[in-house]
Parts: sequence; structure tokens; C-alpha cells
Amino acid sequence: MVTLTIDGITVEVPEGTTVLRAAEKAGVKIPTLCDHPHLTPFGGCRLCIVEVQGFRVPIASCTLPASQGMVVQTNTDKLRASRKFILSMLFSERNHFCPFCQLSGGDCELQNAAYAEGMTHWLIQPNWNTYAVDTSHPYFVLDHNRCIMCQRCVRACGEITGNFTLSVAERGSASILVADCNTPLGKSTCVSCGNCVQACPTGALIDRQSAYHGLEKRLERKQTVCVGCSVGCGIDALVADNQLIRLEGNWNAPVNKGAMCKTGRFETPAENRARLRAPLLRKDGKLEPVTWEEALDAVAAHLKPLAGQPGSGVAALVSSRLPAESLSLFKQLFANGLSSDMVTSTEEGWPTRLPAELAEQTGAAFEANLDAVRSADCVMVIGADLVEHHQVAGFFVKRALPKGVRLIVVDPQENGMDDLAAHTLKAPAGSDVEVLRAMQAAALKAGLAKNAGTIADVEATLAAAPAATGLALEAIAGAAQMLAAAVNPVILYGKNLTAPAGETQAAALKELVALARTVGAGVLSVKGKANSLAVSQYGLDRPFELNGHQAAYVALGDDEPSKRLVKRLEKAPFRVVQASHVSPLTEAADVVLPVTNWAEQEGHYLNLEGRLQAARQLLQAPQNVWANDQVFTALAGRLGVALQSNWKEQLFQRVSPVAMIEN
Amino acid sequence: MAKPKIASDWMAGCAGCHMSLLDMDERILAVAELADLRATPITDLKEPDASGVDVGVLEGGINNTANEEVAHKMRQRSKILVALGDCAVFGGVPALRNFCGVQAALQRAYLEAESNDAEVKIPDDPELATMTRVRALQEVVPVDVYVPGCPPDADVIFHVLSELAQGRKPEVKGELLHWH
Repeated sequence: MVTLTIDGITVEVPEGTTVLRAAEKAGVKIPTLCDHPHLTPFGGCRLCIVEVQGFRVPIASCTLPASQGMVVQTNTDKLRASRKFILSMLFSERNHFCPFCQLSGGDCELQNAAYAEGMTHWLIQPNWNTYAVDTSHPYFVLDHNRCIMCQRCVRACGEITGNFTLSVAERGSASILVADCNTPLGKSTCVSCGNCVQACPTGALIDRQSAYHGLEKRLERKQTVCVGCSVGCGIDALVADNQLIRLEGNWNAPVNKGAMCKTGRFETPAENRARLRAPLLRKDGKLEPVTWEEALDAVAAHLKPLAGQPGSGVAALVSSRLPAESLSLFKQLFANGLSSDMVTSTEEGWPTRLPAELAEQTGAAFEANLDAVRSADCVMVIGADLVEHHQVAGFFVKRALPKGVRLIVVDPQENGMDDLAAHTLKAPAGSDVEVLRAMQAAALKAGLAKNAGTIADVEATLAAAPAATGLALEAIAGAAQMLAAAVNPVILYGKNLTAPAGETQAAALKELVALARTVGAGVLSVKGKANSLAVSQYGLDRPFELNGHQAAYVALGDDEPSKRLVKRLEKAPFRVVQASHVSPLTEAADVVLPVTNWAEQEGHYLNLEGRLQAARQLLQAPQNVWANDQVFTALAGRLGVALQSNWKEQLFQRVSPVAMIEN
Repeated sequence: MAKPKIASDWMAGCAGCHMSLLDMDERILAVAELADLRATPITDLKEPDASGVDVGVLEGGINNTANEEVAHKMRQRSKILVALGDCAVFGGVPALRNFCGVQAALQRAYLEAESNDAEVKIPDDPELATMTRVRALQEVVPVDVYVPGCPPDADVIFHVLSELAQGRKPEVKGELLHWH
């Protein structure tokens, strides 16, 4: 610890703390622009200059480590004059005329900094150079004229997303932000996560969807959870007049610490599917709007006689995007109340069944969590493409690579992370069992195993590996040794683990867990949609099959039905679809029940690492649109089924593959 | 002591700052109580007294030789010169044309605008003032008080005028300081 004095206040901070952070601790506010609490200090804008006793000139506090006995002044006349001059230089460099910027009036950190210094005018007029406006990106605009070169976007791109698309070209006053080697953003390697837009202090990076929709002081900020996938990022929804204006990563959320991906940040608010606004009932072959009363009566009349008829009753499917409360009611209504023998989720358990069954067999959780991924020194990804899905989990891996973390990708297909990996093992589909066994054997042979292995004959396994996997022994050994030599290795796996004909994927998972145990690696499956794990915990994870069922009930919520599901449901004699949007499934249904979407309902989600998180209601539902729970309750009433609200208790009854974390 | 004399004029602006001045409603009577409102665009007198005024207020930037003349005359005849609004303080919206140049701006406005009729031409009457780059007031004459805002709120203008009328130099800060 070191002790220093800032504006006469004595403060003690750990060694290595910057003067800026020490000042925060002492309650002294130092103005900054390029500083961001979640990005590496950069020292670019110079606004945070302080005077230190014994130093010849003022110095940027954001990059100055505090030292013992330091005496710091942050607000002298000299510093105030310098700050005004620094701000004038920033304003004069490009086009910073406020009246025609959408951030003016509270949302621009540059303008706010000028106000804080009491600047009524600029000391230097602009030089009238014009810069390009890059409008090539579908979700945001880069206006170089508003850029102050703070490089927060560059750091967000590298340090949060791990994509390293943005950087600065040229030097001095010719410095300019570029994507890749000066490629238009829309054609660059950008993954559209928008973390740069969230980090930008000025109007240089503009979110197209929310631009000119109002300043933050006119928006309501509501904390919730993204339901885009099972990562479960903490997000802030900015809402005005019952409209979703923008989604931002919550910097304090334990899962993502501010990061978001394209799916959550941009695709979710860009929702444009047609909304269902009234219950529909098929009459003379045509779907007609009816009252809720009539629609629910029709459903109850059809389902009641089917109760308790195995094989010919009602088959029921639920989306794993619904909150746990709804999943629980759904299960009680169909599995318990109507004794249906086909109650499952639209994901049919594909992303979760393997780990769930393994946990049941062993009776204990065996998976690691996202903290383990973030602190790993070697990551192996198998059966998953984290550039395509669960992108934020992919960011955790990508951003760690420059720090020396090694990556191994095992995937028969092209994988988004192939180019980043130290080892890519591309064995033909179906050979994951052989690859994993060979890796374990190689680790054992190299003497790097941390625990006893499960391979009886190491030499024979290795000898058979090239033929079985099509991979050179050196490639397998290289990857295996890298994984085994790591101090904190982690294996991230997805639903695309492959097994040879005649064996199930469970065999691949068994080998994966055996390899992990041998080399001392943590394992974590990325799972699927937002509530995949909850669906699994409720046992709604069996493969779907219509087998003489007289009716099908699909609680789709705001999910998009797969073509395969639509096709398979064609065979059902009577179809009820409970959904938010018009889809081929609702168009073919006999009864359509309009329900709330993710933003209009509240409830709990269990993310991939077993973290139970509450999602808030953000918007009021349109008139005549019911909450999912309300529909289940109304139907249960008509069918004489008693529902209980013990969703949480039920959620923890089944052994989970991953230890539960409660926020 | 005689009431301080205040004169105002506008240059390359939109008159919005003077509209905002009028927006102070009945408080303008309080200003009239304290000060002698002389030449303004909204009173009959059109030029500041040759004998001089205590406070000169200018709205708008300087985009031609006529504006230059207005600015110099007001400076010469005022003890305290106030730059009122973003155009006078920074150049404002008219200064956007500096990014493309006078010729390109004239071309776009007079020859290429969608609303033009068939007989279009860039005005070339020899009596017209010569156009220049758009400048903030401080680039042409020294300024004593800066009142940014697009426009400055009526409250800000009232504060500035009442302070000046009472012989104090106004401070525009805190809630009163806005550039947009």
C-alpha cells in the first residue's frame, strides 16, 4: 500500500493504483475523456492532468502510478487554464459544432467536460478540415468529424471483444481511426458487437436505431438480462414511451461486465416480425379473430378428452426462451395435469441432454463456470463455434489470446476461431471420441497428466489414432501437450460433439470428461437458448416425436419456429400455438393465442453457468395480448388442473451439470 | 446615474437569438426599467448611437463584408460587446459552409436545390456584399462577454442583460451554460 495526498486529502491505495483511481477513492473528481473504468489506461486526451509536488510540468493522472508520499493538486488555476486550452484544441481539430449533433444536451462527454470547465467559447477556432463519414455498417455510423482520438473504441474492440478490428492509422494531426487496413466498417472484420459504440464519448460512433430518439435524461434505464442466448448478459434497456430505444451492456453485470454481441445489442431491438394482437380460431378453414373466452374454451374442449391418454393425448412443446416461471407452469399443466407423454422444449434438449444425463449418472455437478474461462491459460473449444453463437463467451476467449492464452479448436467444419487457434484439429465428423482418446493418450505419454487416465493401452491408442482420425500424431500430441501443460486449462464444448456410427454423443462427452480429468481441465458446455439449462432442469429435454397424438400445443413465446418443427407438426390433427409473432406455425394452427414477448414479461433465467438471473418487464404489452403465465393459468382453470408457484424449488430438484450460482 | 444604453444587431444568424430575447416576456419591462434600449432589429432605431452605447449585443457570425462593417461599428460604439448565441460565439450553423467553401455552397443553394425553378442563377448584383468564410465574432473584433446557446434560453439572456444593466459583468455558468 502507498499513501498519498490529493488536494489535501490523504488516501491509501494498493501499489500500482493510478493517481486518477486514487483520487476517485479520495472523493476527488478529475475530469477525463479517454479514461474508461473498464479499459486499460491510455493517457491520450490529457484532460486528467494534475500537478505533483517536485514534478516540473503537469502530468496525466490516468497513467501515473501513485507513489508513497506523493502530493497531488488537481484543481489549481494553472491546471484549469490548461484544461480549457486542451479542450479548445480538441474542439478545434474537427467538426465539434454542437447544435447539429444528436448527443448535444447531456450525452456528449466532450461537451459536458467543456461545461464543467465553464467554457463559454473556444480559444481557437476550427481548422475546417473535413473528414469522411463511414455509413457502410448496417448498425452504426462512424463520423470521423466528431472523433477526438480517445481510442476508447479501439480498446473496446480489442480488450472487450477481442476482435482488434479498429485501430489508428497515421500520426499526429493526420491520425485517423481505421477498421482493418482502412476498410469500410461494413466490409471489415467487424463482428457488429457495438461495444465500441457504447464506449464512444462523443457522437463519432452513432447507433443507427436509436440516433435522434432522445437524450438519455429523457429515457428510462432499466436493468435486465439479455435473452439472446444462454450466456445471459446483464444489460440496460433504455426505454421511452413504451418503446425500446436501445440496449447497452451493464458494466457491473457479473457475467459480461459491459460486453454485448450483435444478437443482443442490435438484432433484438431490430425486431420486425408481425405481431399477433388477437386470439385466432380456425372456422371453416380460415383463422378468425375471436375473444379470449372463445379461444380458450375451444382449446379446453379439445384437450380435456385427451387428458391421460398415453400415445394419443396432447403433445406439448415450450420454447427455452420463456422464463422459468412459465416453463414450470407449462410442465405442471401438460406433464402433471394432462399426463401427456410428450412434453418437451423446442430445442428438444439437444444443447443440454448430454451434460444433464452425465450429471444424473454421477450425481454431481461436473462443469466449471465463466470465471474459469476468463482465468484460463489454455482453452479448447469442441463442438461449438463461438463466433456464430454464444458470442460473448467467444469474446472472453478471443480477448485473452494476446495475453498469451492458447487456443485449441476441434471441429470437423470450418470454425470462426480456426485462424486464432494454436492448434486446429479437423478430424472427420464422427471422430471426436477417437480424437479425445488420442489426446488423453498423448498427454499420458508425455508425462503431463495431472490425474490418472482411463486409457488402458496408451501406445495402441496412439498407434490407431492417425487412421481413426485422419490427423497426424504430431498434431494430436501438440494440442494435447499444450492443454496438459497449462496451469488452468478449460474445455468449452457445444452440442455438436460428434460420435462414430453406432455410438452416441454421450460417448464423446464421456471421453471429453475423461480427458479433462486427466489433464486437470475445467469443462463447460455453452448450452443453447436463454433458458436451456432451466428447460433441462425441468426435464423438458426429450426428443420430440408425434406418435398418434391427437393434438399439439406449442408455447412458442417470441421464439422463431424452425422449418423442421413446422413440418413435423403438420401431422397433428389439432394445433394450438401460443406465440407473440405471426409465423408459418401460427398460420397453420387451429387456435392462436397471442402472448407477451421477452420485453413485456418478467421472470427468471438460468444461464450456462447455472446463474439464476431475473429479467425485468420493460414494456407494457399491447392490448389483448396476454402473459404466458396468464394463459397457462386460464387453461388450467378450464381443465381442472391445479398449478403451483414453486418453480424455484422444482428448478433445483434435478442434479445440474453445473453448480448453481444465485445472484 | 443615467441608465446604461444597450444596442443590438444581427448578422449571419437566423434571428432566433432575438426571438429568444423576446421570449423573456414581461421581464423585458424590467430590463427596460434598468436600461435604455436603443437601436435593435426590433426597435425603430437601426444603428447604435454615434455617441456610443454601454452595451452592444451582436447575434450571428460574420459571413460577408456587410457583417464585418456591422461588427466593427458596434465594437467601436460599445463599451462592452456581447456575442449572443452560437453563431456569434462559434460560427454556428452558417459556419458549416466553411467545410465545403463559398462556391460549393452557392452552387448547391442557387443552382442545384430541388426547389429551384428553371431560371436559376447565383445572385451577382454588384451592390451585394462580398461573401467570406464564416467567422465567429471574436475572429473579427474583440469580444467581452460570450453567451453561447442555439439559441440561449430567455433566462440566460435575461440574466446577462440584467447583470449588464446593473453595471456587472455577467457570468454564464452552471445551469445557464449551454451551447446547443
